Amino acid sequence: MRFKDKIVLITGGIRGIGAAISKSFLQEGAHVVVTYSQDQDQARRFQKELGPGGSNTTVHQADASDFDAMKALFDNTLEKFGRLDILVNNAGIRRDNLVMFMSESEWHDVLRVNLQGTFVCCKLALKPMIGQRWGRMINIVSPSGIMGRQGQANYAAAKGGVASFTKSLAREVAKIGITVNAVSPGVIETDMTRSLPEQTLAELKQSIPMGHFGRPEDVTGAVLFLASEGAYYITGQVVSVDGGLT
Amino acid sequence: MQTFLSEQEDLVGTLKELIIRTLRLEDVGPEDIVASEPLFGEGLGLDSIDALELVVAIEREYQVEIPDAEVGRRAFASINALADFVLEKGAGQQASDAVG
Repeated sequence: MRFKDKIVLITGGIRGIGAAISKSFLQEGAHVVVTYSQDQDQARRFQKELGPGGSNTTVHQADASDFDAMKALFDNTLEKFGRLDILVNNAGIRRDNLVMFMSESEWHDVLRVNLQGTFVCCKLALKPMIGQRWGRMINIVSPSGIMGRQGQANYAAAKGGVASFTKSLAREVAKIGITVNAVSPGVIETDMTRSLPEQTLAELKQSIPMGHFGRPEDVTGAVLFLASEGAYYITGQVVSVDGGLT
Repeated sequence: MQTFLSEQEDLVGTLKELIIRTLRLEDVGPEDIVASEPLFGEGLGLDSIDALELVVAIEREYQVEIPDAEVGRRAFASINALADFVLEKGAGQQASDAVG
């Protein structure tokens, strides 16, 4: 029970890697506040999956990039629990396209949710964490943001931006007991990857030195470690969990 | 007027202690902080990161809001300026009630 009674806020926490992170914190004794953007059916399925453990979870529909909506959620969380210990920025979208065909909205939407969403939530987490002189922020990025990827210039720009933002914010608050790190999952077995064409999957596998995809729990291991007391001297880092891809 | 002045003097003393406590300033006593001198840069040698902690501490203690860097610069110009800010924005209402 490494996180007994810790208060954790996870954006985009009801599916895939986000859901796995939410469940791992719950198993380790935390109270988890989870956001999702639209899919109410998935939110209900997620809550059902949690079973009795779900009593330590609250699930809210909120756009992570909407400052006013997120401020209301943070205020509500602070009123209820009196603190916020850990923030995981996982909310993200992709609108893949080659740059020549990419619309402005495909560019802006991806930047808004992935990059602005991270800024908004980190900014809102700062005051409570500074007041506590303790906090952990973990931003989920992507190999695209490190290496670049064709068809993902918007996503790569956003995730690369989040990585740089992570390093900058880490320097701003390092003296105050707050660490800010990023985790970069490679190709992880989720519903999204399972839906890819077989040939794409085979090509992806070939590019991974370990020769296989990661599991959601491989990512949660890194996230929970960075959130733990033992990681207090690690800040401003991007930890790749990608089987050697980057 | 007398009440207001003594309230401000009390607040200056309290703010000095709050700053020492919040920033864990070792070997600094309230008497070492000159109320009219700049808080940042010279004097105590505080930096902009120290300001983050001070903003949170002042907001919590006095229920005032320092919404941006410009307001912060004015509020943290000196201890005297900070006391004026707190009296005006927060406890200021109580102070004026007391004076009135």
